[in-house]
Amino acid sequence: MSSTLILILVVVGAYLAAHVAFGWLARRFDVISGAEYVLLGILLGPEVSGLISSSVVGSFAPILTLALGWIGAVVGAQFYLPVVSRIPLIDFRVAFIEATLTLALVSAAMTGVFMWLFGLSAAQAVFPSVAMGAVATVSAPSGIALTVRRLGRRVSVARQLEVATAIDALAAITAFGLLLAIGHAAPETAVRAPTPTEWAVIGIAIGIVGGALFHLFLGGEQEVDRLFIGLSGAIILASGAAAYLRLSPLFPAMLIGFILINTSANRDAIKEVLGRVERPLYFVLLIFAGAAWQWGGMIWTVPVVLFLVARVLAKIAGGGIAAALTQSTSRLGLGWGRALFGQGALAIAIGLNYQIVGDLPFAGVVFTASIVSVLLTDFTSARWAHSVLGPWLRRRGRTARPEAGAEQAEPEREGPGRASAVQTGPGREGPTRTGAAPREGEA
Amino acid sequence: MRRLLILALLFGGMSLILPLGVSGQGGQALLTFGFLILAAYTVGELATAVRLPKIVGYLVAGLVFGPSVLGTVTYEASVRLDAVSQLAIALIAFLAGAELQWSEVKERGTTLLKIMSTELLFGFVALTLFLYALHGFIPPLQGAGTATAIAFALLFASVAIVHSPAVTMALLNETGAQGPVARTTLGVVLLADVAVVLLFSAVLAIAQSFAPATDAAATRSVGAVVWEITGAILIGGAIGVGVAAYLRFVGRELMLFAVLVAFFGIEIARLTHVELLLMLLVAGFVTESLSEHGQQLRHAMERSAAPVFVVFFALSGAKIEVGTIAPLLPLVVPIAAVRAGAIWVGVRVGSRWAGTDGPERRYVWMGLVSQAGVAIGLATILADAYGEMGNYMRALLLSLIAVNETVGPVLFRHALDASGEVASRPAPAHGEVVAGH
Repeated sequence: MSSTLILILVVVGAYLAAHVAFGWLARRFDVISGAEYVLLGILLGPEVSGLISSSVVGSFAPILTLALGWIGAVVGAQFYLPVVSRIPLIDFRVAFIEATLTLALVSAAMTGVFMWLFGLSAAQAVFPSVAMGAVATVSAPSGIALTVRRLGRRVSVARQLEVATAIDALAAITAFGLLLAIGHAAPETAVRAPTPTEWAVIGIAIGIVGGALFHLFLGGEQEVDRLFIGLSGAIILASGAAAYLRLSPLFPAMLIGFILINTSANRDAIKEVLGRVERPLYFVLLIFAGAAWQWGGMIWTVPVVLFLVARVLAKIAGGGIAAALTQSTSRLGLGWGRALFGQGALAIAIGLNYQIVGDLPFAGVVFTASIVSVLLTDFTSARWAHSVLGPWLRRRGRTARPEAGAEQAEPEREGPGRASAVQTGPGREGPTRTGAAPREGEA
Repeated sequence: MRRLLILALLFGGMSLILPLGVSGQGGQALLTFGFLILAAYTVGELATAVRLPKIVGYLVAGLVFGPSVLGTVTYEASVRLDAVSQLAIALIAFLAGAELQWSEVKERGTTLLKIMSTELLFGFVALTLFLYALHGFIPPLQGAGTATAIAFALLFASVAIVHSPAVTMALLNETGAQGPVARTTLGVVLLADVAVVLLFSAVLAIAQSFAPATDAAATRSVGAVVWEITGAILIGGAIGVGVAAYLRFVGRELMLFAVLVAFFGIEIARLTHVELLLMLLVAGFVTESLSEHGQQLRHAMERSAAPVFVVFFALSGAKIEVGTIAPLLPLVVPIAAVRAGAIWVGVRVGSRWAGTDGPERRYVWMGLVSQAGVAIGLATILADAYGEMGNYMRALLLSLIAVNETVGPVLFRHALDASGEVASRPAPAHGEVVAGH
């Protein structure tokens, strides 16, 4: 039997099994659905069963690249400026400080680790370290959304957490996109190799031209299926162009998402189309990310473990410092960063992107760190969020019972842009459905 | 103006990007895919502005941006996207099968069989005679014996009579036509697809008896042909049952499932050596017949197929080799004319035999002129089997296909317009995905 056929059968069968099993676990134990597909990929991949060989994984590279681009577009589409402008500025200040500190602290720590462990110079170590910093910055919004839904009411901290996850994604993708531009190897075919600044500009230009093309293509058309072709064409083109140039598809696609959501009259339709395709690509990405993972030996254990420790410390410290610097400790407390421990598809996407570019230093370590981090935190992210949000509600003595039917609700599914305070459109949780984050207690 | 600006931006962007990257990566295939979606769709819109079907625009876009003219889409990139073409064929077959309804098959089956058999017969005979008459002008046959010339004519005719389910489905989706001309054309095209596989295999076996193939391994035994058809029906039925079961008991992630069904079908057909188109056609038919939710899957399939279909036709255009076709046009144009004339006569005779006196009699022949993927596959078998003569036959057939691929959709669109079926109901929203306005 051919490997492709086995792959299709196994993926369908395993998807169904994982869907049923983890659906139950998610409802019973507040586990976020998503990491099981990574596990599934690992089990199917060359590292364990070998059902999906390395060559099969390689043949799916274009689809994985498309998935990366689509995720980037979903992240960019969260930032609808009229909604963003209604959110208190302080939330953004806190979120930006937290994201920047996490990125900086983890990058610095990992630079030290690489220098110490592998005897690298600072210049050599900084590249994988910043990539790991970008991975560390990402926080999954789904655990927070699940907790907010279960608790049945909203507090200021919840809105802050939702803003923080969106800004974390923005910061991580931007940092990672710039990293690949700066560290770009000169192509042999070019007449003159572009400078790092020019590569960065090229990455931005791909996103802007992609957005402009979409508008030109669509004209005044409102029809959803035509929009689907235009949107998929723009994202595929931008993702392909970025991958062809060895840049990150996440960054230009994020720009496309941002441009489209802010300049198109079809905002809701765009969100619908993005969401419609996001899920299948998301499953494919997670399964193949798991299958693409390969263990490089015990030597990887140390940087990966130290990365996990550094990330936890950076999230707590970053959150605490951000609250202190903005005089928000009474509103948020010092330990609110715990709720940002959860990591999801975007973290894996960055790790995978680093891996599939090829020839980048310590790609396996970076990718492994992202996989392990997601596996460890995805299952517990809702509990971490609860540990931050629960006491605030109890302190006010107004903790509501879980909403009717919440226990039986469809498990929250991991995704790059789930349930952010700054997003709008159909299919999102709570405040995002209407676009505006409600004031505390409104719910 | 807006559309020209899009094309200029796309072409300019590609010209800037291509020298900066490394060819041969997956990124190039994706880049080409995205470029073709936007460029071909835009040219398709330009085509509608001059009252041509969109798929003609897609083909022209592929031809213009392909290796033969501008070279924006390289040969390597188009080869890397072959999986997209296969996926498109699989989706088209499933959707075509899902379009068929049991009641219609019972009601109109005999009529369809009569029209199909006469038009195939007329086409086959006319083309065989014409090719034989022309053999003095065909370089590999100059100086060859009568037996070789007859074999060439028979084999050529057995491939040249093939129609195009892909173009038919695309046009029907574009126009939303559902009237008798549309339904009869679709039925005849689908039936003919099965009949032609049988006919081609029989002709190949007969031709070998007096003009042995240079590579006998490339030909097929009778048993293999029988299996190709019966196996396709059996396996297609089983797939249809499985899909219906999934829809009944799971019914989730239909978009992903639709693509997986198509890939699964491609792989199964390859492994079991059955006819892909027929297999998935049966699968679509069985699914639609057994499941109440078949329509949901069809819509999911149509949505996920939208960009795939655009690129499929654009790639078909990109594979037209202008340099090869141009010198053959003096031969190909008369052959195309004879073929079209034979189809016209065949449909009229068949309609009279079936007692049909409606618009089908006047217009269905226009829907049968198009040719595409199936014919290309059969031409490749001939090239493999008959060496130099086979290669020439392939070049001639590809040229003929290129002509019919371009003229056929225009004629079919005209037929649907003239029979008033385009306006019979608005195109469904999901129908727009293939080539909608």
